[in-house]
Amino acid sequence: MMERQESIAQKFDLYACYQCGKCTGGCPVTLRSKLNIRRLVLQGVLGKDLERLNERLELWDCTTCKTCTLRCPRDINPMNLIIGLRSTLVEQGHIPRTLIDALESVYKHGNPWGKPRNKRTDWIKELPDPLKVKDFSQGEQAEFLLFVGCTASFDPRIQEIAKALTYNLHRAGIDFGILGNEEQCCGNEIRSMGEIGLFEELMQTNIEKFETYGIKQILTSCPHGFNVLKNEYPQETFTVAHGTQLLARCLEEGKLSFEKEIKKVVTYHDPCFLGKQNGIFDEPRALLRAIPGLTLKELDRSRERSLCCEGGGGRMWVEASSDSGPRLAEIRVKDAIELGAEMLITACPLCVLTLEDAVKTSGHEEHIRVMDVMELVAIALGRPQPSSELNP
Amino acid sequence: MNIIVCVKRVPETAEADLVIDKTGRDVIKSGLVFDLNEWDSYAIEEAIRLKEKQGGHVTVISMGGEEANESLRKCLAMGADDAVRLTDPAFEGADGYATAKVLAESIGKLPFDLILTGTQAEDDGYGQVGGALAELLGIPHATVVNQIEAEGNKLKVHRELEGGLEEILEIDLPALLTIQTGINEPRYVSIMGIRKVAKKEIKVFGAADLTLVANETGLSGSDTRIEKISFPPTTGAAKMIEGNPEEVALNVLNILKNKGGLA
Amino acid sequence: MKEILVLAEHRQGQWRDITFEMLSKARQLAESFGSEVHAVVLGKGVANSTEALRPMAHRVLLVEDERLEAFNSETYQTVLAQLITERKPLLTLIGHSTLGMDLAPNLAVQLKMPLATDCIGVDGKDGSFVLTRQIYGGKINSTVLFNKPGPYLVTLRAGAFPVLQKDSLQGDIISLPSPLTDGNLAKRFLGYVEAALGDVDITQADILVSVGRGIKGPENLPLVKEFAEAIGGTLSCSRPVVDKKWLPKSCQVGTSGKTVKPKVYIAVGISGAFQHIAGMKGAETVIAINRDPKAPIFGVAHYGIVGDLFKIIPVLKEKAKELRQK
Repeated sequence: MMERQESIAQKFDLYACYQCGKCTGGCPVTLRSKLNIRRLVLQGVLGKDLERLNERLELWDCTTCKTCTLRCPRDINPMNLIIGLRSTLVEQGHIPRTLIDALESVYKHGNPWGKPRNKRTDWIKELPDPLKVKDFSQGEQAEFLLFVGCTASFDPRIQEIAKALTYNLHRAGIDFGILGNEEQCCGNEIRSMGEIGLFEELMQTNIEKFETYGIKQILTSCPHGFNVLKNEYPQETFTVAHGTQLLARCLEEGKLSFEKEIKKVVTYHDPCFLGKQNGIFDEPRALLRAIPGLTLKELDRSRERSLCCEGGGGRMWVEASSDSGPRLAEIRVKDAIELGAEMLITACPLCVLTLEDAVKTSGHEEHIRVMDVMELVAIALGRPQPSSELNP
Repeated sequence: MNIIVCVKRVPETAEADLVIDKTGRDVIKSGLVFDLNEWDSYAIEEAIRLKEKQGGHVTVISMGGEEANESLRKCLAMGADDAVRLTDPAFEGADGYATAKVLAESIGKLPFDLILTGTQAEDDGYGQVGGALAELLGIPHATVVNQIEAEGNKLKVHRELEGGLEEILEIDLPALLTIQTGINEPRYVSIMGIRKVAKKEIKVFGAADLTLVANETGLSGSDTRIEKISFPPTTGAAKMIEGNPEEVALNVLNILKNKGGLA
Repeated sequence: MKEILVLAEHRQGQWRDITFEMLSKARQLAESFGSEVHAVVLGKGVANSTEALRPMAHRVLLVEDERLEAFNSETYQTVLAQLITERKPLLTLIGHSTLGMDLAPNLAVQLKMPLATDCIGVDGKDGSFVLTRQIYGGKINSTVLFNKPGPYLVTLRAGAFPVLQKDSLQGDIISLPSPLTDGNLAKRFLGYVEAALGDVDITQADILVSVGRGIKGPENLPLVKEFAEAIGGTLSCSRPVVDKKWLPKSCQVGTSGKTVKPKVYIAVGISGAFQHIAGMKGAETVIAINRDPKAPIFGVAHYGIVGDLFKIIPVLKEKAKELRQK
């Protein structure tokens, strides 16, 4: 027994911990979960109380927002400890059913949503002809690879954002293509869920695809995909940018001009994987500030202090372990309403889904609307809208 | 306890668009995703749990082509000890009876206390192989089992009947049980788990290893054959309600008023 | 004698619906080739109840024995094997029920009878039969033929065959001796267990709002529950929802759950696997909401909406609430 626990402390480099508690102090889910990351690190160091891990459902509450790691004054990565414990559970196999379904789906279908691979590009069929999207898997070539992502490919709400992004890229004169039905999960959530073997296979296959098609520049509008491509994939052969980075640059270079006014008061929610983890705060704001008529207000918990919406770390596929405490996304929605915002804007598909869900469950559908930066940009660029789109 | 689990690799068809092939007797399989039959995953999980509780040995067996290795390895990764594959062109086209004959002969050579199968397969849905196998082996059986308690040389089992009712039976070993979904929570098999068993031997047997002759296996050994397949007619098609959510809602509420009253 | 035997199914003192469905189908087949329908009843103390079968059978063959009180495939198999061996009926029909699944495959192997299970269609042809079965989860129909001569054994899917108006055959009840002896059975019936009762009995509801896998997660249930309440309905579900423990088993509609016959059945995010449909086909009006236009549920629905339930239900809920307030 002693051998094993020592190796946890060594493996995750926990010995430097002096139990200051800054990790737990910043952990967003402590409002509503038994998860206490400070105590977990201590248990890791002492080699105590780590039996019957599969009964500790709170291990799945972690959203991998990385606040603990960012705040740690001793450069420890407690988030990695959680992922490590999750991987032990994954190997044992006794994990929540919904996670099994999502993981098996990624293995079989290349996406966690149970959708067949050959339907991955169905969203493109709904685009009007001038917005034709190039497809590397069909032999076409382009300067950028747009890595669409599983959620944008299959979730009807997020498909709308993908379509808006496509419009924006065309208007900005960006030459891009997609991997089509050969695109498969980037693996960010898979890695956070602890299925390291599957993550490695996904990464391997994706890198081979990038090489096959000579891809040097990747852009994506999903911060989860952006995060894993930038920080976990080997960085020798390609660079990766988030959609807001690329378009903010285009704006600066005068390649985009906003014609249509959007007279709304909005606030921006910094997604954890874009903001605090990768330092991209200004580009989305630059785009929003450039939209005529738009008033951008800042939430108190903005930028590095942005409150996690609970969409990451596999949370889209597992229930919170406890019913107590408010949903963080609902807190965020209330904050936005109290701020006087008519719209809550963000730049991440999982944030859009969880925040929209929170608007519904907290009964605020009349008071606030959740949209992605890309959607506002498209409207401001004058994209033709169906009548029910935006009520000015 | 020596347990044998019979499994089948089947295509996932729920979300797929099926296309009837040139023979008109089956669908085009290429492009479909295959996996272990859902009922069988509960069966193998139950076998592993029984082994974890009582000790023993679990052998998993499948009649199919080389691709069946994928499902057999999944079972090995879950904790099965041995895997056997029954492969031969002579086995192809088998109905439930012909499948049971081949399984019976192969299993007949192995020591066992308990045989588990799934209640039915997702593709054919015969619900026949388990019972036929038990009869060929001359052992008692119970189907649609959703709970097992081992009691020495017998088992106490619950069968899931219709309408939420359950039946309790006592059955002597050796016996065969067909397992219903929901009996347990099948564990996840990770990629690393599959890698760990990648080198494990899967014993393969063909027609030459059995005493059954050609006309007792496969299509010629079957009592039934498929003449053709077709898409079911959309009977008395539903009246589709179109429009935006508001229009749809008003329409539905109207129907509710006329057809049942809004209480 | 080229009769058609039908194994009448009963449990806890009640005839199961499938009995009459099978008798109806047998009647139709028997007419087409001038043969007879003989109902077979095994049990203890069931003699009086056989009256209900007489209108639909030319004969009722009754075997009473203490050992047949509760269903046990071993005793049933012994009795039926003898009956079939002696009488050589052209066709024997058993329900594809938990009883039939436990019995038919074994009986077929013992007597070397060709067996086709879970049939939704049976037609006579040249002394044999053409069966229709569903495969691939109900997405495909297959036409199946027998490779050998009979006697044949076929199990019929519950709810697939209509019950004909009660006929007036008034067949005689013939008591046959039981071949069972006091031997040790390798399988012994111990008793029944009622599934734990939930709060509501969905079989009594007039309006059911039923959720399936399409609901995606238990966090979306409150939305549908509110809608159900707004229209005075009760929440029910399909099997996957219970397997995932989002709702208790008492809410489950389907072959392994409850059979319901409400005035209105609203299927929300349910694809319509046959096990589910079997439990709700009797609903007077079925409204189905599903994203997939090819979902089998539309085959039994009277009204269909192809759309996103997460867009439609909230609006339905609001409008229903408004109506309530008026």
